[in-house]
Amino acid sequence: MSLLDELKELVVKGDMVNAVEKTQKALDEGLVPGKLIDEALIAAMDVVGEKYKSGELFVPEMLIAAKTMQACMEKLEPLVAADELKSAGKVVIGTVKDDLHDIGKNLVAMMLRGAGFEVVDLGVDVAAEEFVAKVKELKPNILGMSALLTTTVPQMELVIKALDDAGLRSQVQVIVGGAAVTPEFAKNIGADGYAPDATGAVNWAKNCMTGSK
Amino acid sequence: MLNGGLETDVLKILSDDDIKKIHNASMRVLEEVGVHVDDEEVLSLCEQKGARVDHEAQRVYFNEEIVMGAVKTAPSTVVLYGRDDDAKNIVLGGKKVYLGTGGTALNILDFDRKRRPTTAADIAKTAQLVDALENVHFFVIPCHPSDVESSDVDVNRFFHSINNTTKPIMGGIFTEDGVDRVIEMAAEVAGGRDKLVAKPFISFISSILSPLKVDSLRAKILIKSAKAGIPLATSVAPLAGATSPITLAGTLVQMNAEALVGVVLTQFVKTGAPILYSVVPTIMDMSTMSFLFGSVESAMMNAAGAQLAQFYKLPIYATGGISDSKQPDQQAGYEKAITALMPALAGANFIHEAAGQLDSGMTISYAQYVIDNDINGYVMRAVRGIEIDEDTLATEIIANVGPGGNFLTQRQTVEKMRTEFYYPKAATRTNYDGWVQSGKKDTWTLAEERAKEILKKHKPKRINEEIVNKIKEKEPGIVNV
Repeated sequence: MSLLDELKELVVKGDMVNAVEKTQKALDEGLVPGKLIDEALIAAMDVVGEKYKSGELFVPEMLIAAKTMQACMEKLEPLVAADELKSAGKVVIGTVKDDLHDIGKNLVAMMLRGAGFEVVDLGVDVAAEEFVAKVKELKPNILGMSALLTTTVPQMELVIKALDDAGLRSQVQVIVGGAAVTPEFAKNIGADGYAPDATGAVNWAKNCMTGSK
Repeated sequence: MLNGGLETDVLKILSDDDIKKIHNASMRVLEEVGVHVDDEEVLSLCEQKGARVDHEAQRVYFNEEIVMGAVKTAPSTVVLYGRDDDAKNIVLGGKKVYLGTGGTALNILDFDRKRRPTTAADIAKTAQLVDALENVHFFVIPCHPSDVESSDVDVNRFFHSINNTTKPIMGGIFTEDGVDRVIEMAAEVAGGRDKLVAKPFISFISSILSPLKVDSLRAKILIKSAKAGIPLATSVAPLAGATSPITLAGTLVQMNAEALVGVVLTQFVKTGAPILYSVVPTIMDMSTMSFLFGSVESAMMNAAGAQLAQFYKLPIYATGGISDSKQPDQQAGYEKAITALMPALAGANFIHEAAGQLDSGMTISYAQYVIDNDINGYVMRAVRGIEIDEDTLATEIIANVGPGGNFLTQRQTVEKMRTEFYYPKAATRTNYDGWVQSGKKDTWTLAEERAKEILKKHKPKRINEEIVNKIKEKEPGIVNV
């Protein structure tokens, strides 16, 4: 088995310690960081996604694989020139104002990172002004908002209006999710996308970046 | 994991004092009322063994000494064997819990959702299905083959069962020479009668009629089975309000007396003969005179039966997972769940009728086997209970994660997530959207899909072809399916 395949397997298994060690070994043997990212790390997460879809893997195993991939990335990123680093896309994500629930949002963030996205997580209880300011500053491809409570979902509409008012709405694709959100609601408030779960969100984001959503 | 044979007795529907009172009352019934037996061979045997017999009235009376003597010589553990597969053995006794199918239905709700008479092919297919369902631990032959000559019913029922599952098989006998022919056939499969008796993968059911009656055909089956050393269930089915008192307590008194008659008679035939304390306590709907299977009262009496059997240190054949509903619907769901869970939590060993059955036992359904497999999975998970130790208390992990964190990526989570929870296979557990996207399927539909897939793919270990030919030569009435 090649070093690339070995690393890929360790990431799929979520064996962080050995995966990071293997990454170092690959670098020592002269493998190019970009190749490691594309052919081992990202490829591993594709396998993980498939295995999740088929029911073989459960969510925690997918998260641990994503974390392992992250740990390897941290070793590689400093070695790759910024313009060389092929990000799948940039995502700003957060839970809306007055809502403190973040497990779902964290899951989505972790999964997106695992799929090669650059993710800026604004945390919980994020006000509309803050979302707008970050979109303006970071120019993400995608803005993701989460809300669990029926009392806080209306915040999502406020954020979209605020983006409109700031003239930023056309620059960013907005996806919403969370227990209280339905596809109809997402459509009504003018969001571009909706996903019922973390894998749905990743698929949507991938399609969004290739323009096939 | 959730293997059959996990132990529990957490449910105590009777107190120790209640058990004593029921025991004493049953002893009085056996000594003072006695049992009607319309078979001279059995009456003579009883007399010879010291029981008081009134030949003219065909009545036999057992005192406590005789009854408890038989209880003592009857084995406390009876093993029903898998065919050529010890992993499928079920070890009945104590607080061990197993769930399996029951009989004997005359109709099936097929995949077209139409009800039709059952055939020999349905026996083969249900056996194949059960062979693949992990939470159905044994196979009581579930239906009557309407397409077979009545003189060949028994050999057909057993042949097609043996040929399609290696799980332990039990069945009622419908013809006088059925026991001999089935034993001969099974001995052929086992490679000799001694091998069959050493590891019996078949066993028989012969009913005692409520109230307090043994008829000649069933007595003969009992004698032959006990003599041959093949395990036997002497199923007693008091119907509260009709064939036993309306009170659950009175029905338990009579049920207990009748179940013990089965034990006494088999021990009279052969000391140490493998016998199950066999009960099917039910009630009648007094507003319509309908026989009811899936009542909560039945669940309670079966749980009580488990306690009584444990009191006598006898393995129990109990009843659960039963329903009066005509199709796999809400009523079937709650009746089956309640009637399976209660005896299981009381530690009933052999809970039969707990898969596939609908319509008070008159109809089976392929989909229902798959649904009941999940119900049984829930039941076995409850039987397994909550394990308490340093590791499961997880205080260190709670400390590691700390306030506001989550436990998703903890090593323990990954290690235990597949075994700590039971995952039903024919249930909807996604959110609303996921359900809509996958076609808004209900349990019945999901279960039909899984049943069809199993019947298409699962290959049970068949009987060696040479032996099949030998059997069919002797038993030309065995039909091809």
